[in-house]
Amino acid sequence: MKRLAFIIALLPVGALLALTVGVADIANIWSYIFNPFQDAQNSAHQIIWQIRAPRIAAAILVGASLGIAGVLAQGSTNNPIADPAILGTSAGASLGVLIGLLLNVVSIGSFGAVIFAAIGALLATRLSFSLARSALQLITIGIGVSAILSAIVGLILSIISRPDARSVSFWSFGSLALVTPRVLWVLAPVFLIASILAWKIAPTLDLLSLGDASVRHMGHDAQRIRLRAFSLLAVLVAVTVSSVGSIAFLALAAPHIARYINGPRNRALVIYSGAIGALILLGADTAARAVLPPHELPIGLLTSLIGAPILIATLKKGGDVWR
Amino acid sequence: MALVEIKDVSIERGGSIIVKNFSASLKPSTITAIIGPNGSGKSSLLAAIAGDISCSKGTISINKSNVADLSLLEQAAVRSVVLQDRNYWLSYSVREVIAMGQSDDAIARIDEILIKLDMADFADQRVTTLSGGEAQRVEIARALIRHSELYLLDEPLSAQDARSKERIIEILKQMRSEGKTILLIAHSDKRDLTWCDDVIDDLA
Repeated sequence: MKRLAFIIALLPVGALLALTVGVADIANIWSYIFNPFQDAQNSAHQIIWQIRAPRIAAAILVGASLGIAGVLAQGSTNNPIADPAILGTSAGASLGVLIGLLLNVVSIGSFGAVIFAAIGALLATRLSFSLARSALQLITIGIGVSAILSAIVGLILSIISRPDARSVSFWSFGSLALVTPRVLWVLAPVFLIASILAWKIAPTLDLLSLGDASVRHMGHDAQRIRLRAFSLLAVLVAVTVSSVGSIAFLALAAPHIARYINGPRNRALVIYSGAIGALILLGADTAARAVLPPHELPIGLLTSLIGAPILIATLKKGGDVWR
Repeated sequence: MALVEIKDVSIERGGSIIVKNFSASLKPSTITAIIGPNGSGKSSLLAAIAGDISCSKGTISINKSNVADLSLLEQAAVRSVVLQDRNYWLSYSVREVIAMGQSDDAIARIDEILIKLDMADFADQRVTTLSGGEAQRVEIARALIRHSELYLLDEPLSAQDARSKERIIEILKQMRSEGKTILLIAHSDKRDLTWCDDVIDDLA
């Protein structure tokens, strides 16, 4: 619990620091930060509270969503290398959003986009799972499904000509620069509901680790548990992909780091991994903005650069969490 | 009155019939052992009684209900199963694994069962560090902690040392005296199974 309190306490501290980082050089920045409701017409106030703050909130929500998505992916497939990228979930969500955009029925960061993304994510995950006959095959087939869907997304992106093609292609690589306050109204409620449900079903994932036969012998249907986890996974990945695009590595790394800190119990893992995912993405996005202003570094590179060393270090030191 | 009625059952696995026209009945408060060479269909029969696989011919009923017609929850309510090979791959504690998916009622009995099975010493150990025999006892504990009428155990004694074997046999006998019915697969000679009420050695 102490460790969790520490991780969660780092979030507001990090968020406050992140508010001070940006291209605009703002004098007396803390007075704006600690007086969020004063001087709303001031441009410094607007930069901090209408541009930076929503982006920081989005980094936390997206990071937490991906951390929890990773727990669901690894728990439901009983596989330590499963993550939304490998299962085809992310690519399915991207394709879903792109189809919605091409049909001109949704825009990036809207509820409609989440629905298109969720359908794509669920179908792709189910496809990988139904084609695979073993845990090892699931990874190989998932990579295949993911590659096909990503290629289709890439092809569509390279042939479309529309006024917003540039921001669509920007989105496809993953970026928090597109976040507006409106996106948070979609992100926050979906995250809240999906993460509570994930916490609720987490103990069934513990049982799943004993194998499908043991699940059966306790009176439960392993496939039904999986379908529930996949549905939540799809929603969580959908809400992140439809608002900020796909972000590499986080969903794989966060659960491993969380397991190292607090063991394999999935209910605690949902909370720990969510908090760690939020912290890593907040750090990565702040670094992306801070390192080379006014340029922004691609977020996927930084999540990998920050997440991977922590992941490798925990696995080397921990060792016995996974056999 | 039999608890389990196996009537003229045939089971196919991978295209060949491994259990053929087999009939038997298990009375309440009895221990029955199935023996026989590898591949003779022992585990398949156990799996069919557990409801994991279906018979190609014949019926298996528990308490007069056809196993194939029972829901997963109904099956779980009437029987407990101990699987043979257990590979834990996540570092849960022994206690955590025993508690997985159990009722609050069963969870309240964990300490009692840990002492009974001589597992108190490693109750808080990670399951990934257990020996084969210890892991097998975790599986036995997961089954015994539930109140079932019927216990199906696939080679519960195979990886145990002499002392643990004795203790498990004592527990099975005690369960029998409490009215439980036990069917287990053994790799022993018939002469070593005198503590069982019945030994089945021919499934084909």
